[in-house]
Amino acid sequence: MHKESEIRDPLILGNKTYHDITRDIARPVEGKANKYWWILFGLSLVLFLWGIGCIAYTIGTGIGVWGLNKTVNWAWDITNFVWWIGIGHAGTLISAVLLLFRQKWRMGINRSAEAMTIFGVVQAGLFPLIHMGRPWLAYWVFPIPNAFGSLWQNFNSPLLWDVFAISTYLTVSTVFWYIGLIPDFAMIRDRMSKTISPMKKKLYTLLAFGWSGRAKHWQRFEEVSLVLAGLATPLVFSVHSIVSMDFATSVIPGWHTTIFPPYFVLGALFSGFAMVETLLIIMRKVVNMEAYITIKHIEYMNIIILFTGSMVGTAYITELFMAWYSGVEFEQYAFLNRATGPYWWAYVSMMSCNVIIPQLYWFKKIRTSFIATFILSIFVNIGMWFERFVIIVTSLHRDFLPSAWTMFSPTFVDIGIFLGTIGFFFVLFLLYSRTFPVVAQAELKTILKSSGSEYKTRNHE
Amino acid sequence: MKTTKKYWKGLAQLNNEPIVDTLGQNEFIEELPVDKFLGDQENLSVTNSSRRDFLKFLGFTTAAATLAACETPVVKSIPYLVKPDEIIPGVANYYASTIYDGRDYASVLVKTREGRPIKIENNGTYSNSRVQASVLSLYDSARLKSPLKDNKEIDWKTVDSEIKEKLSLIKDGKIVLLTSTILSPSTNEIINEFSAQYSNVEHIMIDSTPYDGILDANMDSFGVRLAPSYSFDKANVIVSFGADFLANWMANDYATDYVNGRNPKSGKMSKHYQLETNMSLTGANADKRIQIKPSEQGYLISSLLDAVNGKSYDKRLSNIVKSLEANPSKSIIVSNSNDKNVQLLVNAINHKLGNYNNTISIIRPSNLKQGNTEKLDNLINNMQEGNIEALITYNVNPSYSLSRAKEFNTALKNVNLKVSTSLYNDETACLMDYVCPDHHNLESWGDANPKYGIYSLMQPTISPLFNTRQFQDSLLSWIGKSDYHAYLKNYWSRKGIDWNQSLHDGYFSLDEKLIKVKRFIDQSVLVKNQKSDALELEIYETVALGDGSQSNNPWLQELPDPITRACWDNYLTISASTAKELGLSNWTVSNGALNGSIVDVTAGNKVVKNVPVMITPGQAHSTVGMAVGYGRTRAGKAGNNVGFNAYPFLDAKKVVITKVDGEYEFASIQLHHTMMGRDIVKETSLTDYIKDPSSGNHRETYATYKGKLPSDQVSLYEEHDLSTGHFWNLSIDLTSCIGCGECVISCQAENNIPVVGKQEVRKSRDMHWMRIDRYFSSDMTKELSKEEKKSAIDMYSEMEVPSENPEVVFQPVMCMHCNHAPCETVCPVAATTHSNEGLNQMTYNRCIGTRYCANNCPYKVRRFNWFQYSENEKFDFHMNDDLGKMVLNPDVVVRSRGVIEKCSMCIQKIQELKLNAKKSGKPIKDVDAQTACASSCSTNALVFGDSNNKDSEVWRLRNDERAYDLLDHLNVKPSVFYQTKIRNKS
Repeated sequence: MHKESEIRDPLILGNKTYHDITRDIARPVEGKANKYWWILFGLSLVLFLWGIGCIAYTIGTGIGVWGLNKTVNWAWDITNFVWWIGIGHAGTLISAVLLLFRQKWRMGINRSAEAMTIFGVVQAGLFPLIHMGRPWLAYWVFPIPNAFGSLWQNFNSPLLWDVFAISTYLTVSTVFWYIGLIPDFAMIRDRMSKTISPMKKKLYTLLAFGWSGRAKHWQRFEEVSLVLAGLATPLVFSVHSIVSMDFATSVIPGWHTTIFPPYFVLGALFSGFAMVETLLIIMRKVVNMEAYITIKHIEYMNIIILFTGSMVGTAYITELFMAWYSGVEFEQYAFLNRATGPYWWAYVSMMSCNVIIPQLYWFKKIRTSFIATFILSIFVNIGMWFERFVIIVTSLHRDFLPSAWTMFSPTFVDIGIFLGTIGFFFVLFLLYSRTFPVVAQAELKTILKSSGSEYKTRNHE
Repeated sequence: MKTTKKYWKGLAQLNNEPIVDTLGQNEFIEELPVDKFLGDQENLSVTNSSRRDFLKFLGFTTAAATLAACETPVVKSIPYLVKPDEIIPGVANYYASTIYDGRDYASVLVKTREGRPIKIENNGTYSNSRVQASVLSLYDSARLKSPLKDNKEIDWKTVDSEIKEKLSLIKDGKIVLLTSTILSPSTNEIINEFSAQYSNVEHIMIDSTPYDGILDANMDSFGVRLAPSYSFDKANVIVSFGADFLANWMANDYATDYVNGRNPKSGKMSKHYQLETNMSLTGANADKRIQIKPSEQGYLISSLLDAVNGKSYDKRLSNIVKSLEANPSKSIIVSNSNDKNVQLLVNAINHKLGNYNNTISIIRPSNLKQGNTEKLDNLINNMQEGNIEALITYNVNPSYSLSRAKEFNTALKNVNLKVSTSLYNDETACLMDYVCPDHHNLESWGDANPKYGIYSLMQPTISPLFNTRQFQDSLLSWIGKSDYHAYLKNYWSRKGIDWNQSLHDGYFSLDEKLIKVKRFIDQSVLVKNQKSDALELEIYETVALGDGSQSNNPWLQELPDPITRACWDNYLTISASTAKELGLSNWTVSNGALNGSIVDVTAGNKVVKNVPVMITPGQAHSTVGMAVGYGRTRAGKAGNNVGFNAYPFLDAKKVVITKVDGEYEFASIQLHHTMMGRDIVKETSLTDYIKDPSSGNHRETYATYKGKLPSDQVSLYEEHDLSTGHFWNLSIDLTSCIGCGECVISCQAENNIPVVGKQEVRKSRDMHWMRIDRYFSSDMTKELSKEEKKSAIDMYSEMEVPSENPEVVFQPVMCMHCNHAPCETVCPVAATTHSNEGLNQMTYNRCIGTRYCANNCPYKVRRFNWFQYSENEKFDFHMNDDLGKMVLNPDVVVRSRGVIEKCSMCIQKIQELKLNAKKSGKPIKDVDAQTACASSCSTNALVFGDSNNKDSEVWRLRNDERAYDLLDHLNVKPSVFYQTKIRNKS
């Protein structure tokens, strides 16, 4: 059995047995939802419906109901798209990369983080669809055999790369997530009473995919997990690199930057971890997972945030340096305008939320506080949204010819759709938290005897 | 054999009992418990039937609604029963004609398709944006559709008999024909016949902007009340005191001459000084612009006269005087003053300089302005006294456009017979007893004599759309004659004109006796400096709308002003410093749109409230400008209540403005005014150009392993093979472009570009495929910043501010048709692709509207259809009007919402040309290929052609030292290129 040094902090708190874990994880699925869940769900649903209304209005009337114009042809739509895609990245990193690196602490959080990934990608995927002038022709971006003559896609276009990158990402993430869920579904299936809830039992039987817990099943499970982790790992880097190429391959000053791929990937991880924290700090309270999502988990994530945040800051400064060093007046002006132009407040928000505030995590007191972490994670989420806004809007609104310079201001529809996706995201997440095992209990049980606090002290004695 | 088997339902039927019959009448043998069912309120809610019925109703209504929705709207298209010989569907016919609406004159070619005019082309000469747009005014559904009596529709017979009767009853009082300047000799003859028939007829001509000053001065100087003709091409020095001769002053053909006289290649380039108050289009093009207050003009002209007489003069004029002395009898002095004394001074200067018969001709006069304000004033006085029995108006709208409109309207009540011949039930027509609506120019016969010896003919290009009648026909019918067409033909045949040939050409010239003038008499009186500190007003006409007669033309309303770049408004122009003193400002709101303070303007007893303030660089300090042509109340849906009416202030000199609370929302398509130190419009001076033809156009080079190379020789990409076939290029000469916007309207007409309205323009969503960027110079430059050691932030923020009296440059920008197009690579569905003729093509059908191409366009020329702009009542302009839609070019698709559109280099015209060449088996002639913008340009600034044809003009221009690519460092290899702007300064 795996042996762990006793000076490492325990990852499972309290005097838990295997059965306790089973019970704890199955409780939200089996029991009734509490008041908080209903309040949150109600709020999210309202936002979601409002968002649907705004989307319907957009599709029915035209993109003109947004605040875009002839110079700024993308704004909140693509900002939101990149933001949501970025958020997804932490999930994949946690479940794939940390699996490969045998980081046991991922077990408490990977399930939810990956759920967040999938739900985030769903939100992200909405935007490229609805930002189109004619979304009913969206299927034209797929290379499907067609009757339009010899029409094919333009494989030079980063938007087309996006299509492949994101659809691959969504597929691999979903499969990976689902594979991990099989033993846990089986656990719920086994606990379900056929007489009390026959439908649920049937459903979980179906979802459990005939899992019987045989050694052969476990062996294949482990192998598939490893293979999928191997597949998903490059995706962590490729997806956001490709998203960044939407900008990097263009000619617009402020977009045309070779640093974008690594800068976007780090930014994505940065924002993703912040979102994981935001969600888990709420979730561990709402569905009583305090024993499995501990301050140690939070602290590990905070360290990653501190690291990626600093890297993002480095990227910002590198951009400024390169603009100055390039000697190209358009580049120089683009960055001067970012910092001192009419959208200086967005730049300041971005800089303070992403670079300065995460530096507080150097203090152990702050990085080991749930409340501080929660507040800081919100800052990071906001900051990263502004980063995309700054990149997209402030680069576009003043590009080459001053005659075309203008500004962008969102309409209620822009705001409504964004809030709607937040609502949609939480609706999905809250439904998930009541129907799915929110912690990978099968995996968690493998570390109970090595990293459980009770066992740790017992072993020590 | 016939079998007559019979069945019966029962013995009762067999026996024919009455009960069978009774029951047979009932559809339901058992009575339905309807009353019980509906009457029983308690059970109604629980009864099973209600649910079933509900489902039935639901099913029925759903099915019915579905079926109803399946019906497609039927659009009837009716084929010709007998096809006219000259019409081949799909092939355009061109007719030479004339446009003259009482203000703007042009000899034109009218392009018709399937019998409807769709486009105005220049007939080898010049036109302007209003002439170009007049084809849309033809299809204006606000036009009158039949004659009116007391604002009620009536038939022509009744109108004629009533008017004739009333006219014949007039014994003592006067009959007055109040018309615009009339250019038509045949119309003048009809008016003479009319005067002969009725006693006491007086014909009064007025111009919306009066030119009495010039006309009266010439009366004094030469004994003829005529406007001279100017040859700006022959002048080496042009000194204009406020005269906006490139846009609206006097005639509209000066721009062509002006640019012909400014050809740096030939070494002859006139030197143009402009001393003016408002920043006019002409001032923007001047080599040297001096700001003066309107009250200073007379004094400065006096001083100039002193100078040419060798006396001491105002030192501001020293350069002008030097230039004038160096170019004897090769200059033109003009002034926009309507003061006879000032114009006498101008005449004296021109005479002293020997300009008459060299650059200015009074013996070959222009006929475009013949109005007489004195007669008009007498008319109003006579009307007030009740001396006028009948008033017939033609081509004028006095109730709107007179400074004394209020008095005119009151006095109108004293006139017994009031007849208007307006096309619209406008401000004047609605006060008249009868309105006998005239045809539009494009439905009319006619002739015009705009200038000494030059005549043009007008012919109808479509049957009258409504029950209207030409003014000339109306006059003829009131003197018992008819058929103006025959009259006109007869008139010219008598003069020995080959009617058919002239009609075909559209114009002809006649050798006439020169006008006899007296020897020049100098009657000028010197004017002292009357400069005051008071806020002075100068009224102007906008380049788009002119006098406002075409206010209901949405193309013109949405044509941005060349200087302020705002549309759908007039406003008070004011300089930044004066605005600051008065606490007025302009600012942008969060979406970039421009807002401004509001003021009340008072001059004497005239007040106009809530006037927005537009800060305009170049406006003289302590002066304001206001444009006429706005504030129409009865123009139609597009023109009503746009801006305010400034005509009452036509004579006002000094104004008082008081700030009022609130802010005004402008629709400006350009919110940034300077080039920010960028190399966008390359400029050089004439002296530098003569020394080095490529001055101002030295290309940046990049260090490579092969040495220093310009950008186009450093490329990672494969080149498109453009060596065979055509390579369509467009050259834009920034020295020739005066920024008038005619090409913008021409492009809009050719390419079915929608009008989006003020609110959408305000959101920076104008749809024009080409725009004319205007940049002001700034006091801050890169060199100055280096000298003063300013930080980059300070430098750029100071660069954003235009100078108080800036130099102005205009730059038409449309799709550059890059041969390494950034838009083409980014479209995921390949909706925008490159042609092997060097064009960037947009496939609307394939576009899904990601707008990535628009983002990646360095020139920002791509336009997105944010909404459905056609057949959408939210965009209630010509495309939402069955009549207005007739102007659409059938060769160009009307774009649906959600797709990107942009300049196609008029691919439909190129394609037509290629097909014709293929049919005829002859190679394409370079000059035949024309885009709408290039063919409409009166100054020939845009030259289109095939660069693979080494004999072509565009190939020559491509290799000119002045040629440069916009944003050359991006190396996108545009097919459109520019020629450096050259200003005549040292």
